[in-house]
Amino acid sequence: MPSYTAPLTDMRFVLHEVLKIQNYANIPGFADATPDTIDAILEGGAQIMQEVMQPLNQIGDREGCKWNNGEVTTPAGFKEAYKAYCEGGWPGLTADPEYGGQGLPHVIGIALSEMMCSANLAFGMYPGLSHGAYEALHAYGTPEQKAMYLPKLVSGEWTGTMNLTEPHCGTDLGLMRTKAEPQADGSYKITGTKIFISAGEHDLAPNIIHLVLAKIPGGPPGIKGVSLFVVPKFLVNADGSLGARNGVSCGSLEHKMGIHGNATAVLNYDGATGWLVGEPHKGMRAMFVMMNAARLGVGIQGLGIAEVAYQNAATYAKDRLQMRSISGTKFPDKPADPIIVHPDIRRMLLSIRAFAEGGRALGLWAGLMVDLARKHPDDEQKKINDDMLALLMPVVKAYFTDYGYESATMAQQVLGGHGYIAEWGMEQFVRDARITMIYEGANGVQALDLVGRKMPEGFGRLLRRFFHLVSGYIQDNMMDPDIGREFVQPLAKAFARLQTATGFIAEASLKNPDEAGAASMDYLRIFALTAIAFMWAQMAKTAAEKIKSGGGVAGKDFYETKIAVGRFFVDRMLPDTASHLAKLQAGAKSMMALDAANF
Amino acid sequence: MAEIKKVAVIGAGVMGAAIAAHVANAGIPCVLLDIVPKDAKNRNAFAEGAVEKMLKTKPAPFMHAKNARLITTGNLEDHLNLLADVDWICEAIIENPAIKRDLYQKLEGVRKPGSIVTSNTSTIPLATLLEGLPDSFARDFGITHFFNPPRYMRLFELVKGPQTRDDAIAALAHFGDVVLGKEVVRCKDTPGFIANRIGIYWSYVAMSLAFKHGLTVEETDALVGKPMGIPKTGIFGLGDLTGIDLAPHVNASMLRLLPATDAFPQAFEPEGKLVRLIGKMIEGGYTGRKGKGGFYRARGKEVLDLETGEYRPKQKAALDSVNASRKGLRALVEHGDKGGKYSWDLLSRVLSYAASLIPEISDDILSVDRAMKTGYAWKFGPFEQIDQLGTRWFADRLRAEGRPVPRIVDVADGRPLYKEEGEKAYYLTLSGDYAEIPVADDAWSLADKKRGKARIAGNRGASIWDIGDGVACLEFHTKMNAIDADILNMVKEAANLHKKGYKALVIGHDGDNFSVGANVGIALFQANVAMWPVLEGGIAEGQNIYKALKYSPFPVVAAVAGMALGGGCEITLHCDAVQAHAESYMGLVEVGVGVLPGWGGCKEMITRHVLNKKRPGGPMPPLATVFEMISTAKVSTSAAEAREMLFLRETDAITMNRRRVLADAKARALAMVEGYQPPKPVELNLAGASGKAALDIAVEGFALQGKATKHDVVVSGAVARVLTGGDKDITEVTTEDDLYALEREGFMSLIRTNATLDRIEHMLTTGKPLRN
Repeated sequence: MPSYTAPLTDMRFVLHEVLKIQNYANIPGFADATPDTIDAILEGGAQIMQEVMQPLNQIGDREGCKWNNGEVTTPAGFKEAYKAYCEGGWPGLTADPEYGGQGLPHVIGIALSEMMCSANLAFGMYPGLSHGAYEALHAYGTPEQKAMYLPKLVSGEWTGTMNLTEPHCGTDLGLMRTKAEPQADGSYKITGTKIFISAGEHDLAPNIIHLVLAKIPGGPPGIKGVSLFVVPKFLVNADGSLGARNGVSCGSLEHKMGIHGNATAVLNYDGATGWLVGEPHKGMRAMFVMMNAARLGVGIQGLGIAEVAYQNAATYAKDRLQMRSISGTKFPDKPADPIIVHPDIRRMLLSIRAFAEGGRALGLWAGLMVDLARKHPDDEQKKINDDMLALLMPVVKAYFTDYGYESATMAQQVLGGHGYIAEWGMEQFVRDARITMIYEGANGVQALDLVGRKMPEGFGRLLRRFFHLVSGYIQDNMMDPDIGREFVQPLAKAFARLQTATGFIAEASLKNPDEAGAASMDYLRIFALTAIAFMWAQMAKTAAEKIKSGGGVAGKDFYETKIAVGRFFVDRMLPDTASHLAKLQAGAKSMMALDAANF
Repeated sequence: MAEIKKVAVIGAGVMGAAIAAHVANAGIPCVLLDIVPKDAKNRNAFAEGAVEKMLKTKPAPFMHAKNARLITTGNLEDHLNLLADVDWICEAIIENPAIKRDLYQKLEGVRKPGSIVTSNTSTIPLATLLEGLPDSFARDFGITHFFNPPRYMRLFELVKGPQTRDDAIAALAHFGDVVLGKEVVRCKDTPGFIANRIGIYWSYVAMSLAFKHGLTVEETDALVGKPMGIPKTGIFGLGDLTGIDLAPHVNASMLRLLPATDAFPQAFEPEGKLVRLIGKMIEGGYTGRKGKGGFYRARGKEVLDLETGEYRPKQKAALDSVNASRKGLRALVEHGDKGGKYSWDLLSRVLSYAASLIPEISDDILSVDRAMKTGYAWKFGPFEQIDQLGTRWFADRLRAEGRPVPRIVDVADGRPLYKEEGEKAYYLTLSGDYAEIPVADDAWSLADKKRGKARIAGNRGASIWDIGDGVACLEFHTKMNAIDADILNMVKEAANLHKKGYKALVIGHDGDNFSVGANVGIALFQANVAMWPVLEGGIAEGQNIYKALKYSPFPVVAAVAGMALGGGCEITLHCDAVQAHAESYMGLVEVGVGVLPGWGGCKEMITRHVLNKKRPGGPMPPLATVFEMISTAKVSTSAAEAREMLFLRETDAITMNRRRVLADAKARALAMVEGYQPPKPVELNLAGASGKAALDIAVEGFALQGKATKHDVVVSGAVARVLTGGDKDITEVTTEDDLYALEREGFMSLIRTNATLDRIEHMLTTGKPLRN
């Protein structure tokens, strides 16, 4: 059975020593988040994740959710776990105090999310979706809607969902058919079928608040005519008590590859009563507000899986005795050397770890950007962070989930045959990780978003936020005695490739828009590797300082190990930027040459 | 042919006064007389008031305020003696034949023998105006019809009476063309001549058909705009601009003059919805932009609903036919939606009408097209539009609808109305033969020189053409003629044309604007992704190329017209001479996007002002002038102003007629060939740090007064550093290369700032400067 220990030291290192979030006390919510408070929260979170959530992960996978005549039963133990989660106040950790939340920084929420995803990805999606619904209502709901729904979403008493997908309409929401007919009392009657609704029906909470995209008849065609509605499973009386059952029912649950513990529902809306959220036909605007945070959340899922898979594979590699080291016996007292002595085992383990640690730093930095984009007192800073977040989100979502899945299979590989056996838990990580590459915008769509929307925005304004930062960092640290040669110069090379790739796409796509699409995934990976290298350079610099100065969140050993893992990233992962650039510069020609009929 | 050296305009109304102003713009003295106001203290109040008012009018009738001094004002009772030495008297008084004839009688007594008298009437036939006047007057009389506003509208309709002296008409034609810079179109003495005959009909039909087809004001203007090659005001917007109250007058006079069988009286519905609505609008004071509003009000945010007659918020027109029109005029009129149907209804009527008026109003189609293009600002004349539809297609559709096919279209029999063969262009005549479109040696467009020839060199952004007599012409053809790497490459190539045996180079083209500046979109993207060496290289490359042009061993003349801004202005500053159209808008506007002129603009302007012999003494005055000009992005509103700002030197010349600019530039270039020597590099002693400190104090003062923004201070500081020679002081010599280096340094320091990049982005996305 797999195990999980939350990487608290590493989280504290990133939060306190690299991002130095204690320097942001001028941002609302940060003043309360002293290092001590944060550490206590992280420890509390680690405890519930390790002791309550993680043990349910395999059970949830094995049992799955059960559908019976419209009712859904979650796996054994989920209900109790959810109760404990709510009692601990975890659903409202970063939520608005006005609605009962604790108002802590989003960046802390990201750390908790990672732990949840490592411990029990399927379970984590119930509160995760609630938070999405909370965000949409908080940003666009009327005061009445907020008063009615937010406190109960924040406390976890009720859960929420997001309803976008329909049988014929996934990425292209303009094709949507679900309709919302206006009623005399100002409400709407919602009719249609929504599929793939995570946490769409379950027994964890007495009410479920569905946020549903639908079209008001007579509105503009396509994506411009989509509106957002709030549709509770049970109508809510004026006093807050539950009223009549609304006209939304769960038609079935999907049978799927992974995340069995989460209920992926088909929801049938049959004249269900709903209320408009935000302006008519502006539903996508509300969606986009949440999209950045939601995509960051999914990226963190990839990271969480990588971390837990690494931990179990590393443990196994130190225990499993097979063969001798090719450079000579390392453990003569044992019948064979543990497989950790083998370079290729190390290659796999270090790849996962270098990604996980670099990704953690990037993910937490992005979490900090969410806070700054929303709460910074200076509008200019708000905009800069919002731009940066918008730019990095497709990168984080796609790269973290691609590499999260890659990590799970590498970890599985370390276990050899046992990795393929359910009992060891590794194959569940592979299966669970697979969905993260698909939902919340398939990774190919993320790459298109990056080159097609984010890159040209404001003639590269979003790019500026990242490029100027990295360019300035390189200039300032190129000659740094600790990191200049080992970290900053390789970063500079990768960054130059990123610039070259950016220029190539900007120019080539003017002549042929397919060039942008053909280049998009390689571009996204160059971007991600450069961004992670940027984080590694900062981490290495901090570690080197701590080694010299002493003190810090951990001992010297931690910082030396940190630098060593960073060197692996720079030596063995960052050079992929060169091959991605070469592929990208080869252009779209060979990709587009084949006639559709020849496939 | 007697030369016109002095002019008088009688009638100081809007038109008369503006004609006088334009005569003054041409450097010709002009007398402006009007009647004595009733009970007036100042008997010249009308003429004097008109000139004063024009000094404040926008768009300005004067190209330079000092031109007002060329106008002598007076009244018709005390100052008729002023007409004694006038060569041309242009009458622009009220459209009343009897009053006009009275005036003519008066003039007969005072004007000098052989002088010419014309009327600026827009509709009254020449014959009517001459009733009861002696033959001696008739011989000297014609009609010269300007369009409003005369400085800007290029059409000049010229009507000869049966008795008018040929040499008088020739003198007017020459004066109108060369001196006033107008497109002279000879017209017959028919109602409304050419442009108004078609234009008034078009305007009425375009508006009234909107009712018939159930179109809104926005939809109509979306169609009668870019899709039809009409200025974007559209037809209702145009009505607001010219004044709704004008419509009943012009309609009435045309209806009075035209036979009942003419298409206009046939189409006109005196009790129709349009006429009733317009009546109601005028009654309520809704006469357009000058009144409480028109079809639009509240700066275009509200629109008159044609059905209810009430204002409502403006809605964006969403017609598929408007999108379809990108594929051409035919795609527009063939579209099945109401916009397509309306467009066919309108165009089929207007084009048929115009075609049916050959030969009544003009023997040739060319004059009609020219008149509509220059008098109504149509992008294409009616016959060019028929060619776009196809004469065969147009005739077939008219026939299928049981409508008459105009003779010229019938005669075409499927052939185009215009054709090009070899180096020549032709138009179809009623005889069925093609006639050559003449190209004068001293008035041509680049298109005339390009026809049937291959370019010497070229790429996507620019081309080089042989324009004869050993002269080459470098043509820009990017969007708005913005300067990009392609253009720079061609400039580089053009500077070496002497090696291919060319004697001189002209830089110019047929476009509306010489160049709006460097293409900052690419620079912004490069700056956003921190490609600093590439950016700095781009600045250095531009400097090197412009410098090579300046010192090339053959004369280079820039033929400037319209906007020459930023990098587009800088290239002209590096030419041996500039031949500028009178309507040239020159300026170094880089600070608007948060940078400074980096391609030698700072260098050339400080050099010109320091070396200017007429300037006041001391190091500061020229510095302050250039600094103010660059740091406030001042743009000349005419070539006359550009000369004052030293964008044009004393040796540079101005051409009034846009169609003559290239020819004049070529002549200028050829005149410089003999004994040509490239300019000698100059060295300057600039004010240095103390000068910069003085400028900085001034800027800080502006900032304190709220006149300069935070980033203005930064940008101005960088400009000041370049103009004062950087770290040098007044005892040290600053070379051209030093100034180039300072420009690069200043440019790079600014392009790295967020505020500059925000300015560039804002300009590119909104077209307006960001004040940050």
